[in-house]
Amino acid sequence: MLEVRIKKSLPGFNLDVNFSINQEILAILGPSGSGKTMTLQCIAGLIQPDKGYIKLNDKVLLDSAKGIKLKPRVRRVGFVFQNYALFPHLTVEDNIAYGINHLPKDEVKTRVSELMAKTHIAGLGSRFPRQLSAGQQQRVSLARALAPEPELLLLDEPFSALDSQVKERLELELMNLQNYYKGNILFVTHDLTEGYKIASKIAVYESGRVVQCDYKNKVIGSPANRTVARLTGVRNIMQGTIESIKGSTARVMVPELGGKLKITKDDVANFTVNQIVTIGIRPEYIHIVDHPGENTFLCKADRIVEGVSLINCFFYASNKNTERHWIEVSLHKAHAPLITEGHECYVYLPPEHIVIIKD
Amino acid sequence: MTESILAPLWISCKTVLTTTVITFFLGIAAARWMAHYSSKWKSLIDGIFILPLVLPPTVVGFGLLLLFGKNGPLGEFFSWFNTTIVFSWPATVIAAVVMTFPLMYMSARAGFEQVDINVENAARTLGASEWRVFWTVTMPMAWPSVVAATVLTLARALGEFGATLMIAGNIPGKTATIPVAIYFDIQAGHNDRALILVGIVLVISFVSLAVLAYWKRKMPRTTGFLVSE
Repeated sequence: MLEVRIKKSLPGFNLDVNFSINQEILAILGPSGSGKTMTLQCIAGLIQPDKGYIKLNDKVLLDSAKGIKLKPRVRRVGFVFQNYALFPHLTVEDNIAYGINHLPKDEVKTRVSELMAKTHIAGLGSRFPRQLSAGQQQRVSLARALAPEPELLLLDEPFSALDSQVKERLELELMNLQNYYKGNILFVTHDLTEGYKIASKIAVYESGRVVQCDYKNKVIGSPANRTVARLTGVRNIMQGTIESIKGSTARVMVPELGGKLKITKDDVANFTVNQIVTIGIRPEYIHIVDHPGENTFLCKADRIVEGVSLINCFFYASNKNTERHWIEVSLHKAHAPLITEGHECYVYLPPEHIVIIKD
Repeated sequence: MTESILAPLWISCKTVLTTTVITFFLGIAAARWMAHYSSKWKSLIDGIFILPLVLPPTVVGFGLLLLFGKNGPLGEFFSWFNTTIVFSWPATVIAAVVMTFPLMYMSARAGFEQVDINVENAARTLGASEWRVFWTVTMPMAWPSVVAATVLTLARALGEFGATLMIAGNIPGKTATIPVAIYFDIQAGHNDRALILVGIVLVISFVSLAVLAYWKRKMPRTTGFLVSE
């Protein structure tokens, strides 16, 4: 159980966040400079918030109202730094043992070799950090943080300095971490796919505030606002007016598409007829079809970008509306119809995959 | 003759070693304190610490004379214990400590400030006290700067002349260090004795520079330069 309520003002920036987790993995997602790292530093006690309350399991780490402010060394919070921050003058073994060498020698030894096996760095014990690859350094850093059995583990952009192959392996290893570490995990990232894979909950940050904190499928399925939608990869965002609501189905007039859009979502009941809403859909959910129909619009391919396995097509809806934006569609190469720039085709937006946002 | 050669050598050795030990700890303590201290007085204090480096040694010596003289505040303090500092052996140490302190302080501070704060913070989150963080992380990581500063301190203490002459004078067998003895030997026309002392100074300086160069070359390969606890 971790409860966090902190406030800190700096010139030109205010951090004001509020969230809690219960023995689970929370990903803090947000652009750089949104206060993600600062939140971790406040929880670890490395910087002092102006006001706040932090409780970890049964222990109050910080309570500015009561003047409680525990030192970092008694908080039992493990920290994996973005640059790993290994002790350059100590061997891998001594790095990992640093937090536990008040224990008897043979106990330290068993614990260190156990952790080295779990983090796949067995055999590297006598090396110095600069003799290791970035991925190995990251593993040492994780093992070192886990050694004193912290009640909370903080990971600051753990994969940012790694190439994609190493990153994928480490992501898998981090997912396995839960098999041997039963505690709260908080990890900071600016990559949604990374956060979604590893965490059970996601907190979306925007300039020092938590705009949404919920289970990951909720954050993806019903983003709280445009920012969350954008940060979570909803590339197509349009404005519309609700024309009718029946059960879990709403019909929304979207001028940009030049027509009505059917949306089926359980939460449409929260909206009212004539309300102006923002709708969005992820590029990978849009299909190209060969006939007109419901939620289908005639569009002209304006730009086509070919990736390794995906083709991204940017369409304009074929209508007289001058206020139009690109509609981005991601197609799998294997089943993508042949489209060339300037080509017109029918674009289908599945009603169950459209998100509807209040503002 | 040998006796009068050995006396300055012995006095200089005692002074240099005592000075280096005192300056080492004083300089490091001040550097560590200033590296973490933030207040509007920071640059003023910093300036005071570095002042002896930019002032002429005779000015520093005169200042010390005022402080430790019969009517000076520190002079009066010591007179309660029936001790006179001026023109005694401890005065050579005081002069050398004041003159070498800025060197130690500046290099050590630069070394401490180069240490990645995240690495120190990592130690804190692993349960280390500030004391342990300093001796097991900050010091080992700043070690190259600290060693270089110590060698500089040693060399500067050996060469200290102006301030020493002002506060300790030239009492053969008591306060006459090698540089002071060389000056007065030449004044008195004992060029042969001065030359032997010059030779000794050259050898000591050369050896300490050679040791430093050797250590610097060797250092990057032996990473565990300070044994972990």
